[in-house]
Amino acid sequence: MNLDIPFIGVALQAMVKVIPLTILMTILPIIFGLLIAIVISFIQIRHIKFMEPLSHFYTSFFRSTPAILHIMLIYLGLPALIKLVADLMYISVDPNKIPVVVFVIMALSLTAGAYLIEIIRSGIISVDHGQIEAAYSTGMTHKEVFQRILLPQAIDIAFPNFTNLLIGFLHTTSIASIIAVPEITGTANIVAADNYSFLEAFIAAGIIYWILSLIIEYIQSIAEKRRSVYKEEF
Amino acid sequence: MFQAKNIVKSFNGIEVLKGVDLSVKTGEVIAILGPSGSGKTTLLRSLNLLEKPEQGEIIVGNKLINVNKTNQQDILELRKRTSMVFQHYNLFKHKTILQNVTEALIVVQKKTKKEAVKIAISELEKVGLGDKLDQYPSQLSGGQQQRAGIARALAINPEIILFDEPTASLDPELVGEVLEVMLKIANQGVTMVVVTHEMEFAKHVADKVVFMDQGKVIEEGTPHEIFNYPKQERTKKFLQKVSPDYIFKLKEQRQLQHTL
Repeated sequence: MNLDIPFIGVALQAMVKVIPLTILMTILPIIFGLLIAIVISFIQIRHIKFMEPLSHFYTSFFRSTPAILHIMLIYLGLPALIKLVADLMYISVDPNKIPVVVFVIMALSLTAGAYLIEIIRSGIISVDHGQIEAAYSTGMTHKEVFQRILLPQAIDIAFPNFTNLLIGFLHTTSIASIIAVPEITGTANIVAADNYSFLEAFIAAGIIYWILSLIIEYIQSIAEKRRSVYKEEF
Repeated sequence: MFQAKNIVKSFNGIEVLKGVDLSVKTGEVIAILGPSGSGKTTLLRSLNLLEKPEQGEIIVGNKLINVNKTNQQDILELRKRTSMVFQHYNLFKHKTILQNVTEALIVVQKKTKKEAVKIAISELEKVGLGDKLDQYPSQLSGGQQQRAGIARALAINPEIILFDEPTASLDPELVGEVLEVMLKIANQGVTMVVVTHEMEFAKHVADKVVFMDQGKVIEEGTPHEIFNYPKQERTKKFLQKVSPDYIFKLKEQRQLQHTL
């Protein structure tokens, strides 16, 4: 086996250019997913009628099926749905003009939301009930107690799980390559196809994923130090 | 003026409060005594509806709340006009001592941050924590945490403060500093209801002592009446058991029998 070492460098150069796109595809689903998860956590804690069973259906489905399926369902299903609705309303819309990345981000946001609900929920049950009562005793509303006392601490407790999910999602973006999104794995395929140096290209991809993951872990360790100030009692 | 009438509360079908009345005059300090399971903490928690009784009325100032027909608005108003000090302090762990006190002032009373900080600092100085403003609860001793809890309760300037066994989870040597602060605010005319096992505090600081057992008020009166001339057999027995004299007498008796 002869490894074309210089080609690894060439592949790296091509892939560095798509790092921003990959990060976008990682961060945006986590942010949107977090919003979904916060709203649904509130629905589940307050046992809001009709919304609660719906939220259970959502988490059950998205946690029980692979992310690649969510991407396919949204990528194939949503344009057809948009077309159908547009036709019904006599508007002319061309769903093919929507960039593919948008579908990937939508699909991964839904996936992330379902996982983040569980992460936040485990944080919420770890916050001691006494503080919640203390907050209520001052006359705070349910929303204020949730926002000001419960959620910040739940997110703090859930933080290590949260960064694990973030790293997991960085790696999950690779499946977007199957619908030709040129992120890191997709780019590896493209550059390798020129001269059939697949091994070199994927070694380069491995280096980039590794470094990005190390950066996330480093940020996590800094954040952990900051919150350790009041963590001692947990 | 704060009044609770005919409070009935049960847990899983067992009645823990069987129609309790309590009336507190402005500026009065009331100590609630009683054995464990007598319902005294449940009564206290019913007064700001942290526990929702099945029956009863609560009157705070000119507002009457029927616990059967409460709406969210009533509950919030009652809680805004009362405050509570907890056995386990229940400070917000992710906030500094100063933020613990300003929290309700900013969120509930809609004060500006500047106003809130000013009030909070003055209350924290009152309880002797002027130099701990930026510390987190986990960095403080139990006594300091409880004093911060008292400052938090005082800061919202409530019509009444409810104390739920405020010294029960403290190391013995830290009890004094908390009682000292409580005495200080009692002398300032703050209306207080204190569920406690500190007999000396009840004896010397309370204006009225309420003795509860098995979900009922058995007897109430001035500390002098309750501690020196209890009328009910149950009260006598309880006071006998909590006073050390009783044990020493037993020991003397045994020694006496031994020598005979």
